[in-house]
Amino acid sequence: MKSDNKRYITCPFCSLHCDDIQVEVNNNKFKIVSENIKDCTSKIEYFNIKKTSNLTAISKYKKINFNTAINAARKMISRSEDITLVNHGTDVNGVRSLLNFAASHNCVVDHVNSKYLYRNLGIIQRKGYMATSLTETRNRSDVVILFGNNILKKSPRLIDKVILPKHSLCTNLKSRKLLLVGDFDAQSVKIAKKNKHHIENFKIDLNDIPEILTKLMSDDKLSKNLEGIRKIIKKSKYLVASWITSDFDKCNDPDYVISSISDFILSMNQTSRAACMPIAGSLADATSSQTMSWITGFPSRVKFNGKSFFHDRSICDSQEIIRNRNTDLAIHISTVNHNKVELNDKIKNIFIGHINSTFNIKPDIFIPVGNPGIDHRGIMFRTDNVVSVLLDKIREIELLSTQDVMNMLSEVDN
Amino acid sequence: MNLKLQGGKVYDPINNVYGKRMDVYINDGKIIKKNKIKGKINKIIDCSDKIIMPGAIDMHTHIGGGKVNIARMMLEELHHDHNDSCDSSAIIAPTTIKTGIKYIQMGYTSCFEPALLPINARQAHSEMADIPFVDKGGYALLGNDDFFLDLVKKKASQSLINDYVAFILNASQCIGIKVVNPGGINAFKFNQRALDVDEKSNYYDITPRTIIKILTKAIYDLGIPHPLHVHCSNLGVAGNYLSTIETIKAAESLPIHLTHIQFQSYGNNGDRNFSSAAPEISHYLNKTKNLTCDVGQIMFGQTVTMSGDSMSQHKNHHHAHPDKWMCMDIECDAGCGVVPFRYSDKSFVNGLQWAIGLEVFLLAKDPWKVFLTTDHPNGGPFTSYPHLIKLLMDRSFRNDIFEKLPKSVQEHSILKSLKREFTLKEICIMTRSAPAKILGLKNKGSLGDNCDADITIYDQNKKDIEDFFANPSHVIKDGKIVVKNGKIVNYIWGKTQTVKPEYDAGIEKILGKFFDKYHTMKLDNFKISDDEMTNVIGSEIKVNECIHKRK
Repeated sequence: MKSDNKRYITCPFCSLHCDDIQVEVNNNKFKIVSENIKDCTSKIEYFNIKKTSNLTAISKYKKINFNTAINAARKMISRSEDITLVNHGTDVNGVRSLLNFAASHNCVVDHVNSKYLYRNLGIIQRKGYMATSLTETRNRSDVVILFGNNILKKSPRLIDKVILPKHSLCTNLKSRKLLLVGDFDAQSVKIAKKNKHHIENFKIDLNDIPEILTKLMSDDKLSKNLEGIRKIIKKSKYLVASWITSDFDKCNDPDYVISSISDFILSMNQTSRAACMPIAGSLADATSSQTMSWITGFPSRVKFNGKSFFHDRSICDSQEIIRNRNTDLAIHISTVNHNKVELNDKIKNIFIGHINSTFNIKPDIFIPVGNPGIDHRGIMFRTDNVVSVLLDKIREIELLSTQDVMNMLSEVDN
Repeated sequence: MNLKLQGGKVYDPINNVYGKRMDVYINDGKIIKKNKIKGKINKIIDCSDKIIMPGAIDMHTHIGGGKVNIARMMLEELHHDHNDSCDSSAIIAPTTIKTGIKYIQMGYTSCFEPALLPINARQAHSEMADIPFVDKGGYALLGNDDFFLDLVKKKASQSLINDYVAFILNASQCIGIKVVNPGGINAFKFNQRALDVDEKSNYYDITPRTIIKILTKAIYDLGIPHPLHVHCSNLGVAGNYLSTIETIKAAESLPIHLTHIQFQSYGNNGDRNFSSAAPEISHYLNKTKNLTCDVGQIMFGQTVTMSGDSMSQHKNHHHAHPDKWMCMDIECDAGCGVVPFRYSDKSFVNGLQWAIGLEVFLLAKDPWKVFLTTDHPNGGPFTSYPHLIKLLMDRSFRNDIFEKLPKSVQEHSILKSLKREFTLKEICIMTRSAPAKILGLKNKGSLGDNCDADITIYDQNKKDIEDFFANPSHVIKDGKIVVKNGKIVNYIWGKTQTVKPEYDAGIEKILGKFFDKYHTMKLDNFKISDDEMTNVIGSEIKVNECIHKRK
């Protein structure tokens, strides 16, 4: 790969998939050149080669060559009776290859963040839903409400790219209002106040969101704080509500909280315009659900069985299957994950992942693959589910893609 | 390999062949003349009791893109359609694999997604790349995107707009341009709830008529074969036939294609303020040169409506069945709405919609101007085409169903008085040759020399029309037998059909600045290259010629 090479990349490591990040690549080491994206810099540079990187395949504690690993994995697969595929993040072609493999080996396929997917999906499966996308929010919103507590930390560039950018097509940015509703800490508030726009931080218990929203839409007398927010909402012409589902994990009823936000938006649309813009997780959640939906009809949790397959979000919950050892082999696929992956030592584990993957226990076989967007081209879906981006290749360290490896493993005689 | 289809009754309208008994020869994916065959005939299919037609073309079917996936996810409970050859996904929102299987089993070899948002093009093409067998293509949506409306507002030259239109076709790898509710989707984002043909949008101060006029001119100037594909203003609104007629006039005699015209042929007469305006619309269709349409026939039963027309879908969400729906504003580009719906044969409105669609078909004098669609899945699933063909070809079958509809429907429709029965020749034109011609697919819809060997062979012994069209004995795609006696015998993958008109690269500079300033992605990421289509998305492309050099 050419050295002294500056270029824009599309970042595969959070659901915003920003494509305006400039990197410098020298001898296969990449460094972020763009300024003011400190939080993203560490996330992206994490995927550089380090002393601890696993560039070769591993069988438990022993390094083995690639072909040996593929053969060992094939043997393990052919001996297995129930295989579970757990997607911790891969690109469209990676998901396609998982499904091809699953079809030939009667596997369960699940994404590790499915429970969050189903919370948001629950709204459109039960009632009405009004949604919007990143660019619409950037150019049309006059009020943005962020619910929860961690959304700004998990999507570091939401403020400068979407909510409070330098330019907006149809609204006066100076009068755009940002409301933080929930339990945002000082760091989040600091991020939000970066551009000195009008910001209200309304601190409440997340369990109280439904009640607060009901009050805001009523004609009841409110506290001074709430009255101020009601005025802003009533005047709004294009209001956007955004959240990250995992923020509501500790609520008594996360589904109810999310549903109440959606109901609030529906109600706003009777006389004005408003829309939801939930932010997806950073493990290529949207890429998985979109690709699985067009190939199987279901966004996740599918069990193949001969020529057909079925979906059951309880029976095909990979975490439960693995916890209860209702599988004898888990194949984990992880190409964008920063976090330590939990494996169950009571079953066999094959891990197809990036070179800096970490685990609680060593998998039986580890096969290194490239990161989409770093080591090979690919496609991923952004959080709003309507925009998919092309990921480029910026490094040449001779790693195959997830698709390549899964196709090799599919060649096992079943 | 040389393949001979021996002694079948051939229908090939482009070459003026109707029911003539003859042989058809195939070599290397193409149809060839007998005198060009080199070497021996490797395989002969005895077609002495068969009818041979070019592969059918669905020129308006929602088979790929974000809205289809929303429907799949929303209607999870309907995915219980178990049969022997496909997965259980509901036919109103089938998986990509099921889409391909069901189409090819009916003898359809090319299908076109009519609402491909340029910003969503990568998804739509990725999805369609996973549809086996058929060739596919898309019509890029324009006319509600802020960049275009801003150009119009600033009175940009027609030439600059032509550059933009050509760029969009190249960047989104599409074959045509569609406008949905011209300007209305954008106006809905500013809280306008309706926009008639001569009504100005509040923000951009532009009428739908202006948008139609500019886009039809752009397509004409660029030599794009398919005329502007128009989903008119006021879809589904009683009395909307007047705005449909005004939309036709807005094209100022340039070619224009009105889509799912059944939904645009409503009067507001009678005691229920809802009536058929099919005669008025057909009058215009028959007398207006350069005007074509597809019908968008409704079929009774459960379906799901999916449309770029978020304004109309939001208005109609109260009719959702089951009671759930979704609308979305998308990337300063377009919008979408997904509303499940059940057409009931007990309902006056639904019954009359059914009759209006058939009236439009039957009143159309020229089958080259009217195309057979259900606007899958908006009017009904594409698998109902054989039933629809039977309704058109068999008057007594049609009247039997009509007589079971509510009396009020029968009193409001002239359907029973229409004695016409379509012939095989007319069906062949409407489903093969005419769509190929209107899309500029020179190698399709015909059995002429060097055409793509996309062929459907029907069993003449099948006496029931519906059975005849639902179960061809053989389907040949790109010269390979893929269906034999209803069974898939060979999996192949079709191409993506595109058109690439010329444009001045200066438009990319202007658009690049616009993207940098207002969008959340770069223009380079918006564009889909030929290389990406083939090597990342996974579909080879076929570039079709423009009619003429850019004017």
